[in-house]
Amino acid sequence: MSYPKVITKLMEEHPSDSHTYQRYVASGGYEAAKASLAKTRDELVEIVKDSGLIGRGGALFSTGMKWSFLAPPRPSYLVVNGDESEPGTFKDRQLLERDPHQLIEGIIIAAFANEVHEAFIYIRGEYPKPARRVQQAVDDAYSEGLLGKGIFGTDYDLEVTVHLGAGAYICGEETALLNSLEGKRGEPRLKPPYFPAAKGLYMMPTIVNNVETIANLPHIINHGPEWYKELSACEDTGTFLASVSGHVKKPGNYELPHGITWRELIYDVAGGIRDDNDLKAWIPGGASAPWFVPSLHLDDPITKADCAAAGSMLGSGAIIVMDHTTNVVAAAERLVRFFAEESCGQCTPCREGTTWLDMILQRMLNGGGREVDLDLLHDVSDGISIGLGWPPKQTTICPLGPSAVSAVKSILEHFRDEAEAYARSANQVPVTIGGEG
Amino acid sequence: MTWSPETLERADAIISKYPDRRSALMPMLYLAMREDGYLSEEGMRTVAELIGITPAQVQSVASFYVMYKQEPIGKYLISMCTSISCFLMGADDVLAALEQASGVPAGETDGEIAVEHAECIGACGGAPACLVNYELIEGLSAEKATELVQWLRNGKPETINTDEMQTLFGGRTSFDWAIKEDNAAVGPYPAFPPFGTAAENSPALEPGRGS
Amino acid sequence: MSDDVAPELISITIDGTDRSVRPGELLIKAAEDTGTYIPRFCWHPRMQPVGMCRMCLVEVEGPRGVALVPACTTPVGDGMIVHTQSEVAKKAQEDILEFLLINHPLDCPVCDKGGECPLQDQTMSHGPAESRFVEEKRHYEKPIPISDLVLLDRERCILCARCTRFSEEISGDPLIEFQERGNNTQIRTFPDLPFSSYFSGNTVQICPVGALTATAYRFRARPWDLRAVGSTCMHCTAGDSMTVQASQNEILRFLGVDNDATNHGWLSDKCRFGFEYINSPDRLTTPLLRDAEGELREATWSEALQEVADRLGAITEEHGGHAVAALGGARGTNEDAYALAKFMRVALGSNHLDAQMDDGLEPQFLAAVAGRGQISDLERAKTILVWGPDLKEELGTLYLRVRRAAQELGATLIVVHPRATGLDDRATHKFGYQPGTGPDVLRRLAAGLEEFAEARAALNEGPVVAIVGRSGYCESPALAEAVAAFARDLPEATVLPVARRGNVFGALDMGVAPNLLPGRVALGSDGFDGWEVPEHSGKGAAEILTGLTEGSIKSVLLVGADPVRDVPSGSAAAALEAAEFVVAIDLFVTDSVRHADVVFPALTATEKEGMVTNLEGRVQKVNQVVPGPGQARADWSILDDVATAMDRPIHLASAEAIAKEIGSVAPAYRGVTWDLVTWDEPDGVVVPLNGAEVFEYVPVDAKIETRSAPLTLHLARTLYDDGVMMRAGLSLHDLAPGVAAYLSTEDSVAVGVAEGGLISINGHQMTVQIDDSLAPGTLYVPFNQPGGPHLGTDPVIRVKAVR
Ligand SMILES: Cc1cc2nc3c(=O)[nH]c(=O)nc-3n(C[C@H](O)[C@H](O)[C@H](O)COP(=O)(O)O)c2cc1C
Ligand code: SF4
Ligand code: FES
Repeated sequence: MSYPKVITKLMEEHPSDSHTYQRYVASGGYEAAKASLAKTRDELVEIVKDSGLIGRGGALFSTGMKWSFLAPPRPSYLVVNGDESEPGTFKDRQLLERDPHQLIEGIIIAAFANEVHEAFIYIRGEYPKPARRVQQAVDDAYSEGLLGKGIFGTDYDLEVTVHLGAGAYICGEETALLNSLEGKRGEPRLKPPYFPAAKGLYMMPTIVNNVETIANLPHIINHGPEWYKELSACEDTGTFLASVSGHVKKPGNYELPHGITWRELIYDVAGGIRDDNDLKAWIPGGASAPWFVPSLHLDDPITKADCAAAGSMLGSGAIIVMDHTTNVVAAAERLVRFFAEESCGQCTPCREGTTWLDMILQRMLNGGGREVDLDLLHDVSDGISIGLGWPPKQTTICPLGPSAVSAVKSILEHFRDEAEAYARSANQVPVTIGGEG
Repeated sequence: MTWSPETLERADAIISKYPDRRSALMPMLYLAMREDGYLSEEGMRTVAELIGITPAQVQSVASFYVMYKQEPIGKYLISMCTSISCFLMGADDVLAALEQASGVPAGETDGEIAVEHAECIGACGGAPACLVNYELIEGLSAEKATELVQWLRNGKPETINTDEMQTLFGGRTSFDWAIKEDNAAVGPYPAFPPFGTAAENSPALEPGRGS
Repeated sequence: MSDDVAPELISITIDGTDRSVRPGELLIKAAEDTGTYIPRFCWHPRMQPVGMCRMCLVEVEGPRGVALVPACTTPVGDGMIVHTQSEVAKKAQEDILEFLLINHPLDCPVCDKGGECPLQDQTMSHGPAESRFVEEKRHYEKPIPISDLVLLDRERCILCARCTRFSEEISGDPLIEFQERGNNTQIRTFPDLPFSSYFSGNTVQICPVGALTATAYRFRARPWDLRAVGSTCMHCTAGDSMTVQASQNEILRFLGVDNDATNHGWLSDKCRFGFEYINSPDRLTTPLLRDAEGELREATWSEALQEVADRLGAITEEHGGHAVAALGGARGTNEDAYALAKFMRVALGSNHLDAQMDDGLEPQFLAAVAGRGQISDLERAKTILVWGPDLKEELGTLYLRVRRAAQELGATLIVVHPRATGLDDRATHKFGYQPGTGPDVLRRLAAGLEEFAEARAALNEGPVVAIVGRSGYCESPALAEAVAAFARDLPEATVLPVARRGNVFGALDMGVAPNLLPGRVALGSDGFDGWEVPEHSGKGAAEILTGLTEGSIKSVLLVGADPVRDVPSGSAAAALEAAEFVVAIDLFVTDSVRHADVVFPALTATEKEGMVTNLEGRVQKVNQVVPGPGQARADWSILDDVATAMDRPIHLASAEAIAKEIGSVAPAYRGVTWDLVTWDEPDGVVVPLNGAEVFEYVPVDAKIETRSAPLTLHLARTLYDDGVMMRAGLSLHDLAPGVAAYLSTEDSVAVGVAEGGLISINGHQMTVQIDDSLAPGTLYVPFNQPGGPHLGTDPVIRVKAVR
């Protein structure tokens, strides 16, 4: 099965030099930016709105809508979110490394559309190679007159700075990212009142968009919103980059239309389960998302609405597949541990609750389970995310805390018997799991 | 202030890129690591002075991020991902192999090699994966991990290049890497030209180098 | 009292009842003001909300259903429907409490906070019966000293960020910070860089648990055996409201009390911890009389009173009342000061009295400046001019109010001072200058020349508040007045002249000044008819000391005055030596009291009742908390007894009776009674009441001369120094910066001395420290440091490197 390629087209066609300025321009690059500079801000916002482009950072919010909320510039900023740290997600890395000029062109379009003269690309610290590629591309763009003063010979100025993170998942959350970019601890800000579009970087109106979101812009400008909409045969428009990992035969990034089914994705695109094992469960949208199981969800179409109706989300497009050999309690612990380690620690329920959840799960895995532990897991989760629904009714400042609850809720809901076995595990031998099998 | 004039010049250049001085704090902390090999108290005092905040504020920020190491960690930092996708693919065994081969338990250093477990490093499609001085190896195995440690121990490479390591020890990747990487890391901090932390090197990739 | 029009109230519903609240107010505050207390830990009414502890979660009905929101970060809107007791809200609050407790140690019985701990209280009323947390709690070394004054127990900390926000937002010295993240998040200082903030004690007070404790209070008393009395701080003239706590007649603790008028609940550490002197064993407990061998020895009251009556009687008989003078009065209450003014004028017939030590400003200017403002004017100010002392060193809580105005309220702040000040980081414009050149700087600022152009333009944006005072002792007091003369013509300008010593404004208002009579009446005018006033013109501190030295004045009364330490010129010791007869009323045998022939033991402000007046003219109460030591008595009663013994009675029966007398004879205080300034109204009242018209002093620009030399002297106070209250309270005395001469690198090169080298100033040697924040040509020496010499008050000095 082959699907139309948009943002991965150039790198697929020209693997050896898709990252260079020469190749990018030779393939029609920067035409969209040039065309955009001849349009008005309103026209551009309208085009993006029309295209139905939704953010690829996880919140799946309409990009055009977000732009239209931007408070009047005084000045305003554009920040590209390249912090990509959601477990299971590795798509932005490929876009940054393999086609950095696509990103820069998108930045020019987004910046111009939002009357921004200063943009930042925040790349996670563990991505020095992607950062180097982007920095090289930025340098080239400056020397070609595509960034800096009076770009493309117009009177429009745009400065772009590549900023490296230093190891903190929470800096992917947009307001934490802004704090980090301001040289502060990456603690999320309160929303309200600190919505980036009103009080963002340096308390100025700020657009934060994910790398993939921005990478789509040149194509939308080049081909128009109608073309973009038709890439998917459903309400959601365009393509999305799925990062598939775990127990599939062919893990990797796949650019796909919305609306295909999970079955198609797992079995056709990703080649099925390793060793032709049974599929046990998968996480549909990065570590934060509640899990799906084959008996309920395998033939659901992959859309924002269908995922939401099933109590989960497409999130960052990271699909983590678990086969029947998986110890789901251990997997849940690993997920919870991630959030506990990455909690910024400012709010009580996340700081205390995620750590507590992890301690309980570890104790269960180490043979210290007690009958009351499942109820306790439930109650602690309930204190972070009341009612354990999705989207969560959170007691926390940001969604990180409730994200830790997803795995716990998933095993309590779908694999209660396995969890119960551990809850009765006191004095049993510790279990080790994992391995290529 | 004990920084070299070259580093101070670099610091000035970085500070000038931001609308607000404090925004340069994170890059400054990398410069401090490059100066001392880790983030020393002295380094934090220097950064405080350059940015115009208190050392306590600098440390508050530094300690939030796991990549700013406030203790000397040696020459090579191996960060083994044990988050969900790598975990599902056997990362715990690979970490055990790294610990065993190096004799260094995760979270510690012997002055030359430091081993740590890392949370997701964005290489889930090439799981299990690790970073050496933040340069990536995907598709690792316990055997290859052992070889990696020996290669570091015996060869003591001055710089760490991701393609070289991937060729020697890697396996399946998240996507086609396609393009060879000229830069290499010079210490346990990210190799990024604006920080002066990237060395240009085109490794020979010949067998015999290292183990 | 603000004359703002009250904004229209809006109506919201909390738990089914309608409330009228101010629009935009935070829900947590609006609820509290209308009778619903929502539990909280991180929220503090004087700091920006952070919504971190999540204790205050409530449900609010909105267009998109019911949302769970923190009440501390949610502003109220018209028609808002709030549920603080719904099932979900209650559950959220209970869950948060459980989370906070899982890592909290169970050491309430030995915790200093036990009995007054919000976490303990919440737990008792709403907490889980028993912990479901069976894992290992977080462990930290406990408690660790983070400064000389404060201890930190990280196990008790609930990470509410009150202390870190205080030090960053309010006091501007972020030396304690969150370190690490997630479950390892903890409060810490930087290694070898203690939490040496002048305001650190406030963090102890606002810590909602026992994580930050004060070395001064540790294990001293359990909150439940404390007796607490409201009072007013007398360390500086800001008039901070506070609670004094004592146990078994021993003062244990001072706590700030929140009010809108002055301190917003904050105290500087000097005010908070500087009470050790009260309990000092060195306090005077009986009168002392100089014996035949020339030693001061204990005496009975009748011996001492008789001696004073005889000697003063004789001197005034022989030379007239103007042969006797008095220094002091600024450390007592208004009643004490009134007694002194009346005693001097009625019993002795002298106008030579001064509450200032030649270290302040023109008394009429301080007491009665036209267009005088209030501290709360800072809340509305567009532009603030601070030209005077470094407020951080001399008027701590006023400093915090100015910081707040600049930082939180966006006022443009202009600071003029010879060296770096605490406010510089918040100042839009900071001008340093060489001492002696102030008049020139003023002329250039007023004209908006060159570097002053922007600042001058900002001063056209009213309301303007000008805080003026003496930047240092080498500066002419007339300069501050000239600055005020300039400032009062700015748009909507108010002027706050500042001086620092305790109740100096009260003393001046009571007529303890050579040219003022009680109630802000100029000597020589006919505004005062309470009693007869001598005809001759009065002498101030400098002239009194000269008079003593030259012999025209024979005797002096020192009333809580230490001129030997405090008079910057250094001329007091010789003057007291030359005096025929010296009487002192004091707490200790100070360097000045050593010269006395008769000494009476006095009371501190925690041992008596009375009124005090702050720099705005705000009258507040101090209250008795403990009895005085031994036979110590209030100044007024000592003076009354001396007058009676001299047979020239002044008829003062009790402090309250004096207050009544003041209220009837002192024009600016007409109508002020103790009933009006009870502790229930910590804001006190600003005199004159109801805008009654009294004498106003219009400041003049006396066109003083600029003094110049390559290097001139800046002599100024630091918060901690060698003052008597500090000396008797060792923990703060140690924090004084010590004797040193500060120079910029450039000037040090010019003088030929390096850091740590020796320099001679007017013949006195001291070590040099480099301070590049000094204006070029400025040599700074902190005033009144332990063992420090008097350098005089001339900015032009003799300097040379010592080899
Ligand atoms: C805990 C947390 C982590 C996040 N991490 C990322 C991230 O790594 N990359 C990203 O683009 N967005 C991330 N987001 C989403 C951002 O907050 C934000 O919605 C996004 O960058 C907006 O861009 P988009 O509209 O283009 O998706 C995260 C959100 C949360 C709550
Ligand atoms: S939910 Fe967790 S990560 Fe988010 S603000 Fe609270 S403590 Fe920080
Ligand atoms: S008081 Fe509202 S979150 Fe702490």
